[in-house]
Amino acid sequence: MEDLTPMTATKTARPTTVPFVPIADRRRMLPSVWGLMIAAAFAVLAILNLLPLVWGILTSFKGAQDLFRFPPTLFDFTPTLENYQRVIDSGFLGNMKMSLFYSATTVMATLALALPAAYAFDRFNFPLRGPLFLLVVASIPLSLGAAALLIPNYLYFTRLGLTNAWFTLPLIYTAHQLPMAIWIMKGTIEGIPRELDEAAVADGASHFEVLRYVILPLSKPAFGAAGVLTFVGSWNEFVAGSVMVDSPALRPIQPAIYNFIGFFGREWGPLTASATLAILPILIAFALLGRLIVSGLTKGSVKG
Amino acid sequence: MYSRHAGLTYIVPAFALLGLVLFSPVFYGFWFSLFRIQYGAPTDFIGLGNFLRLLDDPALGGTLTRSTVFTFFAVALTVAIALALAVWIHKLGERRGFAVQMIVIVPWIISTVVATLLFRWVFVNDIGLALSLARWAGFGDIRLLNDPTSAMALLIGVSVWKRIGYAVIILLAGLKSIPEDLEEAARIDGATGWQVFRRITLPLLKTPLLLVTIVLTLSNLNTVETPLVLTGGGPGNATRILPMEIFDRAFVAYDLGSATALALVMFIGNILLVLAYVRLAKWKT
Repeated sequence: MEDLTPMTATKTARPTTVPFVPIADRRRMLPSVWGLMIAAAFAVLAILNLLPLVWGILTSFKGAQDLFRFPPTLFDFTPTLENYQRVIDSGFLGNMKMSLFYSATTVMATLALALPAAYAFDRFNFPLRGPLFLLVVASIPLSLGAAALLIPNYLYFTRLGLTNAWFTLPLIYTAHQLPMAIWIMKGTIEGIPRELDEAAVADGASHFEVLRYVILPLSKPAFGAAGVLTFVGSWNEFVAGSVMVDSPALRPIQPAIYNFIGFFGREWGPLTASATLAILPILIAFALLGRLIVSGLTKGSVKG
Repeated sequence: MYSRHAGLTYIVPAFALLGLVLFSPVFYGFWFSLFRIQYGAPTDFIGLGNFLRLLDDPALGGTLTRSTVFTFFAVALTVAIALALAVWIHKLGERRGFAVQMIVIVPWIISTVVATLLFRWVFVNDIGLALSLARWAGFGDIRLLNDPTSAMALLIGVSVWKRIGYAVIILLAGLKSIPEDLEEAARIDGATGWQVFRRITLPLLKTPLLLVTIVLTLSNLNTVETPLVLTGGGPGNATRILPMEIFDRAFVAYDLGSATALALVMFIGNILLVLAYVRLAKWKT
């Protein structure tokens, strides 16, 4: 967790690991057994982790007659898009669009608020700095307890008239993700040499210009890590999304899927189609930025 | 380097938002819980009435017990399996280890609603994949969602499956930060693999292990979606745990008074975990 530039560090550190001689020896003696055991463990792990996912995605392309076939078939069926058609006909694209809007807004707001806060906590001395940072650290796990916070939050927001608006969920999601983003960014800013700030100040830069022209360009890896975790967190959020907005036009994707369980009942075709659509952006983000997700988590973000 | 108040201006926007969304509702909630609540608005002051009403509720004891059982087993299993996986991945080397990490993190990055829904589809009665596999393997008709004990076991299973990747990654980071020469020195002194793990690795992994345990306890204790989507609390009340109870009271039964009281009781539990977390996390200003 101390490692401040893991993205570059892991990339450059990889080729330096040279296997020990004894292992190479053992490999020559037991060429297949060792490799087979690792491959088997690998396969079991992959099946356990990915089977429900793959099975769900396959189901989403099955027509009614293949769906209820017993025993179920893995690949031997006629693929169809009728489940997707039905899900889209029930307005699911609208929910996806809202979720995309909520998540994008949350990512931008979180990064915009976290960078100056992290900069201040690392580079400035101000009254109550210690206790305030303690509050940030404590808020990281606190926002996991959404179920306990939700009811007071709901009552308070109702009182203020902040529920059921386009900004309701971005406001809540940003507050939930912000402490983690501040923590990740502070870790990165710590690694930027203070001499750079001082050189800029000597050249006549204000502290805002230091933030804009020195800190911001050098914190890009932290933006990636905090940004992708924020996106995933907001896209996947269910509890606040189902309570804080009632109007169907504002409903995000996770509560929409939950409502489908009541609406489609035991029709697993449309249900798995909606689940597939919901994980699509996540899997794309994962394929492109998987390394950032792992490094963001490693750097001491602590969502469970 | 700069004036004493320059830093404050940079944190004001962030704290204004945290104050509005995270901090002030809690105080408002405590105040609110002292009133009778009708249609989402406080009416008469009834002191601790909402809390006392909880004590009279005969069903609540069972819910608490089930929550404890669920959280304990979900956390213990996740930590144990994740520790074994992390040690294994650590030995695999950088490239293969990274591939395994990528596989185990997939269940963590998809939403709990979707993950649970997919699990329900695997285990659903009559046409589920698990039933066919059980028949094919000769176990006969096993319907795990119909029996109270196995439904709870399945709930725990989904939770473990969902969160194991997170625990693996944090523990792996902990393992990587242990200097290799410590384990090497012990090995040269003749320690067996198990002794090295027990006497060197495990003690040095104490902080990440405790952090993971706290975070997992918090997230399992507070999960609404898993029971809601997997079982709806059933069969009977076998998988009805505390957060789902709060959710139901507030937004299905519209009993916001007792829901608020219950949420605040749970919130106090959360705060204790958060304090333990803050003590352990390596934070410095």
